[in-house]
Amino acid sequence: MLDEEGSHKLLMGNEAVARGAIEAGVHVAVGYPGTPSTEVIETLSRYAEQAGMHVEWAVNEKVAFDIGAGVSYGGARCLVTMKSAGLNVASDSIVSVAYGDLVGGLVIYVADDPGLHAGMEEEDSRVFAALSLLPMLDVSDSQESKDAVVKAFEYSEQHSVPVIVRSTSRVAHGKSPVETGPIQKVPRKPHLARDISVFTRASPVWCKQQHTRLIEKTKALVPSVETDFNRLKMKKGQRHGVVASGVSWNYLMDALSRHGVDVATLKIGSVNPLPVNQLRELIGQVDRLLAVEELEPYIELRIKAMVADTDRKVKVLGKQDGTLPSVGEYDYDLVEEAVLKLTGGEKRCDDELAARQAEASSLAPRRSLPFCPGCPHRGSYIALNQAIKELGYKQDEVIVTGDIGCTILGMHPPFNSCWNEVSMGASIGVTIGLKQAGVENPVVATIGDSTFFHAGMPPAVNAAWGDTPVVIAVLDNEITGMTGHQPNPASGYNALRKPVPRIKIEEILGAAGIKKIKVVDPFDLEESKEAFKEALQHDGPSAIVLRRMCALVARRQRLTGPPSHVDGEKCTGCLHCVRTLSCPAMEIREGKMEINQNTCEGCGLCAQICPFQAIEGGDQ
Amino acid sequence: MVKEHNILISSVGGQGGITLSRVIANAAMIQGLNIRVGETLGMAQRGGAVQSHVRLGEDAHGSIIPSGGADVLLALEPSEAARVSKYLGSQTRVIINTAPTYPIPVMLGQAAYPSLDEITGALEAIGCEIFVVDASRIARETEAPRSLNIAVLGAYMALSEAVLTEDTVKESLRKTLPARYLEQNLRAYEGGRQALAI
Repeated sequence: MLDEEGSHKLLMGNEAVARGAIEAGVHVAVGYPGTPSTEVIETLSRYAEQAGMHVEWAVNEKVAFDIGAGVSYGGARCLVTMKSAGLNVASDSIVSVAYGDLVGGLVIYVADDPGLHAGMEEEDSRVFAALSLLPMLDVSDSQESKDAVVKAFEYSEQHSVPVIVRSTSRVAHGKSPVETGPIQKVPRKPHLARDISVFTRASPVWCKQQHTRLIEKTKALVPSVETDFNRLKMKKGQRHGVVASGVSWNYLMDALSRHGVDVATLKIGSVNPLPVNQLRELIGQVDRLLAVEELEPYIELRIKAMVADTDRKVKVLGKQDGTLPSVGEYDYDLVEEAVLKLTGGEKRCDDELAARQAEASSLAPRRSLPFCPGCPHRGSYIALNQAIKELGYKQDEVIVTGDIGCTILGMHPPFNSCWNEVSMGASIGVTIGLKQAGVENPVVATIGDSTFFHAGMPPAVNAAWGDTPVVIAVLDNEITGMTGHQPNPASGYNALRKPVPRIKIEEILGAAGIKKIKVVDPFDLEESKEAFKEALQHDGPSAIVLRRMCALVARRQRLTGPPSHVDGEKCTGCLHCVRTLSCPAMEIREGKMEINQNTCEGCGLCAQICPFQAIEGGDQ
Repeated sequence: MVKEHNILISSVGGQGGITLSRVIANAAMIQGLNIRVGETLGMAQRGGAVQSHVRLGEDAHGSIIPSGGADVLLALEPSEAARVSKYLGSQTRVIINTAPTYPIPVMLGQAAYPSLDEITGALEAIGCEIFVVDASRIARETEAPRSLNIAVLGAYMALSEAVLTEDTVKESLRKTLPARYLEQNLRAYEGGRQALAI
């Protein structure tokens, strides 16, 4: 990662972004974990000390961006990273900071997820370029990811404006070769001079001036982006053209080299500003033009607007005429078909082969995502379900709201606990609303520790302030689990793995004004169940912190217990354990349960629920 | 010069499919080939289906293999070979580890799991050439219990048309994997290679 200029490396897109930050002499990097953006900060945290960079995880993306703005105002360069949903969280600050000036370079890296490899929405962050008016680069491989970050810092300082670098899952998690550039030593500048006409939004007069300047700043980048990030290849007489951006560009290259099609191409590497001169040149010559871009028809609509401004008739193929979809990620086959439609070629379809492929894939069984062996959330949901039952409710009579992260896996069988999932921290606000709507039975919010710090604290204050009888269950595994174990304030260490004091969630809940709070161990089913029963019957807001370290982290630190054992004599083969716990360490041999000694973490839950006391384990 | 060689790795989270793709890609890097790797992370530790596309050669642009375009499929689990059939064609050589990993509904008799014959039959209908290897057993017998992925790599290298050389693959094993597991991995590699050696 710290290699000198001119070395060739195979890098993941996110690693290339990290290398770009190192080359750009970034002083501070900050982000919140979110697939597929997480590896940037993870990579930088490993090299932070050698590179002389400060790297930290923020509690959410807005805080991360606010820190970034502060770094810039303080005269240093800052990279801020997030996934597309995080951009929504940070947007309040981004739209405001965009209006003012900067001191040090400020670059936002955001990774979208077409195809939903990580779940959540297929949000197209390019649309945010139009909303915020900020410059945005769109990358298609690792080399471009690195180069875009380096250039984005130059642009940001030249034009005193934050610059967004946007990637997608396939690029961020894909790997391709990168040639490294020089590592710059960038001196820090003096901090901002006090000028409230630039650094506040307090007056409409100033704001209008700032708005005008922002539009000018982005427009002024057209000549630079046309040289640096957009490429027009057009020969005289070519009547067909293709415009492509992001990962789709690579599929286009595959299709053109396989079919030897003769078309003009424009690679779009800047979403804002668009390469308007190159687009005008292309529209001035071709009769048919295909726009290839994942998700929304962002470029396509702008091309159509530009065509409308000319007296030429250009047929534009894309999403609006149904040539390509807006949903899901693109691949070679989709792009190939679209290119052949453009040129009037015919796609060779082997229906018989396709039928045989489909028949073969139909044999594969579904693999749903279970909780890992030894996951403490398994105990939390079993205890919750038992409490609901013992209080005389049916499971479908008590609404349990879910939240983002591993905790949401409690929506799957055999737990079937969570009813919904909205956004970071929303589980708590939704329970308050359910109560205000008149739901009489108890309502429970389940939320993880990292999600609680991210956006769960304000609604907890709201619940206490309104004295609304909701149960807040914080499933505290002391780590940000789903994204691959990044530390958070509950972990006791920071991004550089240096020990720091733990921030206790029960103390925050208490300070928020919630009076009834209990801390339990989710591996102790009896204790956890009783805590839930008490909370469910309480007539004010209450909270339970179910604390136990994530099993994958515990395993790495050699803190898990010895594997549990089944006594084959006592096991009747009722399989109550498999049905109730759905633990991947369980195997069935000759009708009886066996425990895989390599994967069992010895949590002891199966021993606690076995009706025949046939399992020994849980001694940790 | 390699124009295009497409390797698809299909596995269940935790079997080491992502690590295998890293070993192959690093070997190709040492050989100076152009490389595109397509994979999505996140489910790799959690028992979900995991696919890695490794594309080698000058003509590889996109990081996903075109449908029907795999030259080799390395399936670390039998039903995972069937799952990725979209990418297979009559040119595909398929190496299948025979040891199944059953999802819980299958264990409880609530869902079906195909027999090895059903799977190989369906792939043969596509025209694939199939090589069956008990990589899990090889890994156990070579005392490398977590190295079934590397045993499958050994089997791939025994195919005469492997694009990578033995030297670069071994160098990649040394560079890519933790040093303390190198001996185990080399044993598993050799076991896999011998299983398919002619």
